Amino acid sequence: MFILKPELGIPIYRQLIDQVRRMVASGQLAPGTVLPSVRELADAHTVHPMTISKAYSQLEAEGLLERNRGKPMTVASSQKPQAGIAPRLKQIEPQVEQLVLASRQLDLREKDVTGLIKRKWEQDHE
Amino acid sequence: MNDSRTDSVLSTQHLGKTIGGRAILSDISVSLDRGDVVGVIGKNGAGKTTLLETVLGFSPATAGSSQIYGHDSFMLPAAVKSRVGFVPQQDDLMGMLTGKQQLGLVAALYGGWDSGLIDRLAGEWEVPLQQRIATLSGGERQKLSTLLALGHRPDLLVLDEPVSSLDPIARRRFLQQILEYTADQQRTVLFSSHIVSDLERVANRIWIIRDGQMIWQGDLDALKESVVRLHVRASQPLPASLDIPHTLFEQVTGTSAVVAVSHWEQSDPAAVSRRLNADIEVEALGLEDIFLELNR
Repeated sequence: MFILKPELGIPIYRQLIDQVRRMVASGQLAPGTVLPSVRELADAHTVHPMTISKAYSQLEAEGLLERNRGKPMTVASSQKPQAGIAPRLKQIEPQVEQLVLASRQLDLREKDVTGLIKRKWEQDHE
Repeated sequence: MNDSRTDSVLSTQHLGKTIGGRAILSDISVSLDRGDVVGVIGKNGAGKTTLLETVLGFSPATAGSSQIYGHDSFMLPAAVKSRVGFVPQQDDLMGMLTGKQQLGLVAALYGGWDSGLIDRLAGEWEVPLQQRIATLSGGERQKLSTLLALGHRPDLLVLDEPVSSLDPIARRRFLQQILEYTADQQRTVLFSSHIVSDLERVANRIWIIRDGQMIWQGDLDALKESVVRLHVRASQPLPASLDIPHTLFEQVTGTSAVVAVSHWEQSDPAAVSRRLNADIEVEALGLEDIFLELNR
């Protein structure tokens, strides 16, 4: 369900927070969806459970997730998928910034890069 | 579950160890809380093994003090010793015995030996218990040593390079076991390893030792937010030194520079950028790179 890479410079709990945020924004995680327990995720990825619970607690504090006593963590019922394109675009902005930066370092033109994006996009949907 | 009056499992205050006039450890003040999985890293000879052995009370400190469960390390009562398990870097297995015989000997020393757990792990880890220890491979010996330290279900498990001889699959199983062992947040694990990617996975706290001193102790997450590499680019030549606080390393070449810093979470990137009149790209670092930057 999630892709966690311990070897990255971004702490594991941050990686999890970012992914849950994106999936809630897109509606892939709909309101009421039950998330794996801390234990299940920690086991599946062989990471310390505190790492997972730290991410869940932060998302709960932000109101993205909710947990009723004795129940598993779920996507908060108040979380509507972000219908407009703008808030979802905002989620992907950091990756685009990285892409633009790397492209400039390689001295690539905008149309070459957008052309590549287009080709990759179509490949994935073939 | 053992009754624990305090969450402090282990602590040291200005611990030092000098052997033959040479300081192996100096001024080490650390603490370990219940439920922690702490990874210790340091170059060869940095003092990791001496630290583990000193806090466990195998030899006395020459300065400062250390306690386990509130008792002086060098004078641990038997009741506290029985709450600790240790896997040394050099195992002290008896070659002429079979694994099963050696386990039996150790089991007899403790009350409450969990033979169910040990039988299960011996199976999962594929340790040939019927074979004479002298005929076991390095990895099998390492696994057997770990079983010996786990059988009495210690509240504190200390391991010195426990996975150095294990293949990647065995290492992953071992890490899963460590997490399973501490999953109820009651037990604590302290282990040293050169395999930084393992620590990065399961440890929630990291201790970094350099030349006998503790240069970092804290949450792994905080460490990753603290130590970063900055890529600086300006349109005018940069000064020979950029004078960024907590610089660990810097390399300035004309209009660009690479700077490794710590405490980055406390700094104001926009202010640094304005002062230098330059663009700054922040590169987050994995634990291995952080370790290298801290040891330059």
